[in-house]
This record gives sequence, C-alpha cells and structure tokens, in this order.
Amino acid sequence: MMPVVKGISLEIPRRGIVGLVGESGCGKSMTAKSINHILPSFAKVTGGNMLWHEDSGEVCDFTLLNEKEIRGRCGTDVAMIFQEPMTSLNPMMCIGDQIKEVLQIHKLEKNADRAKERVIEMLDAVGIAEPELRYKAWPHELSGGMRQRVMIAMAMIGSPKLLIADEPTTALDVTTEAQILKLIRKMCDEYKMSAMVITHNMGVVSTLCDYVYVMYLGNIMEQAPTKELFKNPMHPYTKGLLSSIPRIGNNPEYLETIPGSIPVMKKQFKGCEFCLRCSDDIQKCFFEKAELKKVGPDHYVRCHVAGGEEE
Amino acid sequence: MERQIILSASHVKKSFRAGMKNKVMAVNDVSLEILKGETLALVGESGCGKSTLARLLMRMIKADSGSIFFEDQEITGMSERELRPFRREMQMVFQDPASSLDPRMKIRDIIAEPLLAWHVYDSKEKTDERILELLDMVDLKEDCLDRYPHQFSGGQRQRIGIARAIAVKPKLLVCDESVSALDVCVQAQILNLLKTLKNQMGLTCLFISHDLAVVSFIADRVCVMKDGQICEMAPAEQIYKNPGHEYTRYLLASVPQVIDF
Repeated sequence: MMPVVKGISLEIPRRGIVGLVGESGCGKSMTAKSINHILPSFAKVTGGNMLWHEDSGEVCDFTLLNEKEIRGRCGTDVAMIFQEPMTSLNPMMCIGDQIKEVLQIHKLEKNADRAKERVIEMLDAVGIAEPELRYKAWPHELSGGMRQRVMIAMAMIGSPKLLIADEPTTALDVTTEAQILKLIRKMCDEYKMSAMVITHNMGVVSTLCDYVYVMYLGNIMEQAPTKELFKNPMHPYTKGLLSSIPRIGNNPEYLETIPGSIPVMKKQFKGCEFCLRCSDDIQKCFFEKAELKKVGPDHYVRCHVAGGEEE
Repeated sequence: MERQIILSASHVKKSFRAGMKNKVMAVNDVSLEILKGETLALVGESGCGKSTLARLLMRMIKADSGSIFFEDQEITGMSERELRPFRREMQMVFQDPASSLDPRMKIRDIIAEPLLAWHVYDSKEKTDERILELLDMVDLKEDCLDRYPHQFSGGQRQRIGIARAIAVKPKLLVCDESVSALDVCVQAQILNLLKTLKNQMGLTCLFISHDLAVVSFIADRVCVMKDGQICEMAPAEQIYKNPGHEYTRYLLASVPQVIDF
C-alpha cells in the first residue's frame, strides 16, 4: 500500500471557508473523501482521527463511525458537491424528487407537500428561476451551471454544518463560475455554514477562501490565511504555483514555472518530496523531512530553507 | 508595412440540426483574418462556436455559406483531393492529449507519421534526425522514443502532440483548448513552450481558449465570440485595458483573479 495522504492535519473553523489547493494527484480529493467515508474501495484510512465538534461541545471521531452512522451524518452534518454535476445527478429522476430524497431519507420532513415546498424554496435560494416549473425538470435539460446549482441545493437542504466542495467550478464557464462562487459564499453566510473548497485554481482560492492549505504529494507544504499566503508565500512550491499563473494585466515574456512534473513515488522517500523540483534545496532536503514551522501568525511552512534555518 | 494574411474568412455561416425542425446557428456570419506570425486567440464560453469556427477554417467541416481563403487561394469549395496540399500547412493540437495520441503507437512512430505521410525526407536517417530535433524543441528526452503514450504524464503527452503538429513545419498551428486540461505548473510550461516556438519558428497560431488569463499571456490579438458571432476583435492589450463590448467586460469581470494583496 502506498500512502497518498501522509498524516496531514487541518482545522475548519465554524463559519469559515478553508481552501485546499494543489496539483492533480496531490491527495486533496482523497482527504475530502475520507471525511465522509466515500473513499474508493482500494483506499482506506490507516491512522489519525477526524474530530467533529458538535454545537453542544461534544466531540465525535468520524474515523470510528461505522457505515450506518456516517450515512446518518452525510447530508445533515457534512454535505458534499462534486466537480461534474452531470455524473453526480441521477438521470432517471427529476431534480425536485432528487432533492426531496434528502428530506425523506433523513426524516427531516414527513409531510410530502411541505417537503415539496421546502425543495422549491431551496431551488429559489440557489437562484433557479421559476422553481415550481423546474421541480419536474430532468438533469439533462439543464445547463452545467444549473446542474451545479441543483447539486448545491441538494447539499444545502439538510442544513449541513460543513459543505465540502470538490472542484466545484472546474467544469464550468468563467461567467457561471463567478456566479457559483458567489452562491457558495452567500450560502455559507446565510446558513452559518463552514466550507472546505478543494481546487487547483488559485483564483478561486483568492476570491472565496479565508484560509488556505497548500498540498503536495500528500503533505501540507504551507498553510496561511489567504491574504498572507498571496502576499508572502514562503514555500518554494507555493511561490512556483503563484508565479506560473498567467495574470491579466501583468504579463512577463515567459512565465516562471516549476521544472518537471509531479514525480511518481514508488517507494517511501525519506526527504522532502519537493526537493527534486526545488530550486533552493540544500543537502538536508534529501535526507530529512521538514516539519511544519511557524513563520508568522497562523502561517506555517514545511521547508528546511524557507523562513530561516532552524537552530 | 502591411503584414501578409495567412488565412481569412468572410461571412462564414454554419448551422447544425437540433431536433426535428430546429437549427442552431453555430457560426453566424463571421469574418476574420489571421496575419502571418501572429497569435490570434478565440475566446468565449462553451457553446459559443469557437471550436466550430476553427474546424471550418481548417476545412474539417464544410461551411454553409461564406468563403475561406488560405493565403491567396479560396479553399471553401475545394474537394478533398484539391485540399490535400493545404492539409500540410494547417496542423492542430487538441485539448485532450490522452485521446489524441494512438495508444498502440510508439512515440517515434507518432512523430514520424506526418513526416512519412508527406514524404518530407527521402531517407530514414534524415527522418530520424528530424525526430530528434523535434524532441529537443519540445524538451523531451531521447529515451522517450520507444515508449507508448500511456507512459507519459499529461504535460509530456501534450508536448508529443505539439511535436507531431510542428513536424511538417506548418504555416498555421491551431491549438484547440490545448492547455485547459493541464495543471497550473504544467500549463505554464506548455505556454512557455508555445511562445518559444512562436518566436523561433515564426509560427502563426490560432489559439482557442476559454481562459482569459491564459489568452492574455500568449495572444497578440483577441477575438471574443458569443452565440456564433464575433462581438469584439482587437489587439490583446486593448481588450484587457479598454474593452469595447459589454460582453467582453462581463467576461473579464467574471474571471476569478488572483488578487494582489
């Protein structure tokens, strides 16, 4: 078994939006999927714990829950939206009934008429015009942006406390993307919800998130409040990511980029995973993993070189 | 000095059938010119007709009406046989590098195929030499030659796709969302590569993308499309600094920008 997520720690504050960024294959989706036990069959959580803090102050470890218990939590405590809204909707059910299922399964609303009303209210809240008519619409009749709105409605109807959005806008056009990002922000504010947004798009992070974790090959390389991360990136990987984005209105002749691509790790590697592509690596990087060290208020970086040599 | 026009289209239209009765105007009365040595970007949301337009210009599909000129010759009504010499001059790099390379061919054969099809070199040695030169141009190592596409990462596959496209020294390279499926770092590498090739070879490029930030990096001129029509065409600088059309402004406002705090 190869570890894909190597002992990461993160916190999602109440009513905060946390971003998890990294290139494909860095383990960001696996992290999210392990929270509500929807990992693919070949993967399993081998250690650590995931603590859920109830409003009452009780703490519950999600890793210890069995299948049935976690199902009870999905939808009411944790809800998730995915990248491709078409494949996550049931093509054989009209959208209203799909959303209503959440209420029925969790027994949140026993009265069928009232349930339908609630679905229509929710469709209205996510910005679907004429929600009464759209209740009976089929997924294939809707555009990508509309489908993603339906997914958000479905996630929100159980009033979850945490929304996990796995690449919510990657498949969408820029104009729709902007609308969906606004919608997620609005929903978090209105329903007093926290969110974890997984993305590879730095633009999405900087417009949506309060706090960012940067992942590389299963490790968190840097974590900081969004503003701080963009103003003062410390890890060479974060710096590389930021400089390789073309920006409107500020274009160099060539983009600075990180050489090479993500290496395929066949064996466990002793040193820092990034050292093969790093420009400021020192000998130590090959033999020893760096620990996360504090470089500013709420700003941590996992690097031997950045932020000064330790001791 | 007036710059030479490589490809021009005037009043091109194309519609597709949608259902029994309806028609969709995918490209509706589009006229444009691509100048030698420039990178013209086509931007717009999905479904706006940018890919259809590129296919029309390359004569992969036939236009309903209008005319398309390559250099000085009209290619609109040409038969497949008449078109053959023009095929060499226009090459394409596709979005998904995994599905546009034959999984059963080695990289050597993939890059050699256009060279052999066009009988570019009369000896095998010269062809091999050219393949190595091409590999070097796209920053791949020699040991890739006997491997298969699945053994490469997305970025490397896209490099192979580019090597294949530029093998016969086309006059026009069409990149249809060529960097959209790549991660940011790899995307930056490929964009740098395209820019280098453009500078080295004087390549003319039609660059199709939905990403305005990417376009701002690579394009000399930008052409904004909406619902099958061009709503604005201007030098890149002007589009970004002083957009004339309302839709361009709306597109620009929607891009989730990395805010410089």
